[in-house]
Amino acid sequence: MGVKIANIEYYLPEKVVTNDQLAKQFPDWSSEKIEKKVGIRERHIVNEDETALDLALKAAEKVLKNYNKDKIDFLLFCTQSPEYYLPSGACILQDRLGLNKNIGAFDYNLGCSGFVYGLAMAKSLIYSNIAINILLITSETYTKHIHPKDKSNRTIFGDAAAATIIEKSEKEQIGEFVLGTDGSGYKNLFVPNGGLRNRYDVNAKEIDDDSGSIRTDNNLYMNGPDIFNFTIKAVPKVVAKTLVKNNTTLEDLDYVIFHQANKYMNEYLRKKINIPKDKFYLNLLHTGNTVSATIPIAIKYCLDNSTIKKNDRVLLAGFGVGYSWGGTIITI
Amino acid sequence: MEKMKTGDFINELKDALEIEDEDQEISLETNLKELEEYDSLSVLSIIAMIDKNFGKQIPSLDIVKVTTVSSLMELIGKEHFE
Repeated sequence: MGVKIANIEYYLPEKVVTNDQLAKQFPDWSSEKIEKKVGIRERHIVNEDETALDLALKAAEKVLKNYNKDKIDFLLFCTQSPEYYLPSGACILQDRLGLNKNIGAFDYNLGCSGFVYGLAMAKSLIYSNIAINILLITSETYTKHIHPKDKSNRTIFGDAAAATIIEKSEKEQIGEFVLGTDGSGYKNLFVPNGGLRNRYDVNAKEIDDDSGSIRTDNNLYMNGPDIFNFTIKAVPKVVAKTLVKNNTTLEDLDYVIFHQANKYMNEYLRKKINIPKDKFYLNLLHTGNTVSATIPIAIKYCLDNSTIKKNDRVLLAGFGVGYSWGGTIITI
Repeated sequence: MEKMKTGDFINELKDALEIEDEDQEISLETNLKELEEYDSLSVLSIIAMIDKNFGKQIPSLDIVKVTTVSSLMELIGKEHFE
C-alpha cells in the first residue's frame, strides 16, 4: 500500500501588478533590477472583495472537474488569511464545493512549509485508515496583510491557491518526511496586530524601515535578512536529512522543488547545497512568492511542460514563516 | 578557514553590491550605507557573501549597525583577515 498525488490544479486571481506599475509608485525602484535579482516580473493579487477562500474554491473546482467529488473523504485547508476566526474555512468549503457531509475537514495555519505539512498529514490520515481520498487546498493572500506603501513585500508576494488530491495507491509515491519548527523566529515574519494578543488598531502609526518601505503593526512584517539567515542554516539540513531518511542521494534524484521564496535566495541555496542547475526549479516570474501555493504550482507547471514525468523522484522542501520547515520526496 | 586579504574582501564586497565600475574606489573607510548601490537587496548579497567565505550568518541587528567596510570586517572577526 502507498499514497500518491493524483492531481493538482491551481488558480491565480485575475488582477496583475507588474514591476512597471510598482516602479511608478516607488521612484527609486528599478523594474529590471528587481526582475534580475528576485526573479519576479509580475504578481497576481486579489481584489478587495476576494479572499483566500474564494481562490481556494476556484482551484478546488478545477481539480474536481475531472474527479468524482463524492470520493473525497477529507478536506485539509491551509491558509494564514482566514475568512473568520471561526469557523474553519474548510467547513465553508465543504458546503460550497458540495462535498459529502460524512468527511473530516479542518484548517491549519502554516505558510511556506504548508504544502509539505499537508502531504504529511494526508499520508498519515490514509495510513491510519481515516481517509482514502484527500483534498488538500493551500491558498494564500498575503497581499491582504501588506501595507500599500510597503515596497519590499509588495514586490515579493503574490496571491494564489492550489488544490491537490492525495489518494491511497498500490505503490508508495510519497516518501518519508522531515519536519522542523523553531518558534524563536516568529517575529521575523508576522502580522503583529489583528489577533487577540494585539487587536487591530485603527490608529496604528506608520513605521518607516529606512529603505523605502512603510507599514503599520496591522500589516505583514518581514525581516528579510534574518529570514535569509534562517534559510541558510535550515534548508541545507532539511535537504540532507530528507535524503538520508529516504535512503537516497541528490545524484539519484530527478528533480528538486523548493518553496519559491525569491530567486536570489533560492539560487544561493542551490549553490550552497550543490544542486545541479538543470535539476532545480526556479520560477517566480509571473506569480511572485505565493507562500503555501508555490510548491504545488511548481509541480503542476513541471508536469505540464514535461520537466518531470512518470516515475521521476522529486525532492520537495518548504521553509519560512514560523519558523517552520519540511521536506519529502515524491514519485511522480 | 583561510585568512582573506583585505583587497580580496573588497572585491567580494564590490561583487555583492554589483559595483561594475572597476575604478570606483572602495576603501576601509568607505561608508557602505552612503553608496548608491546599498539597498535592502544588497544586504542579502552581503549576508550570502559572508556565509560563503566565512561560514558565518550575520544577524540583521548587527548588519544595521555596520557603517564602514572596516566595521563590517570587525563584525566578521578580525581573525578572518590577513
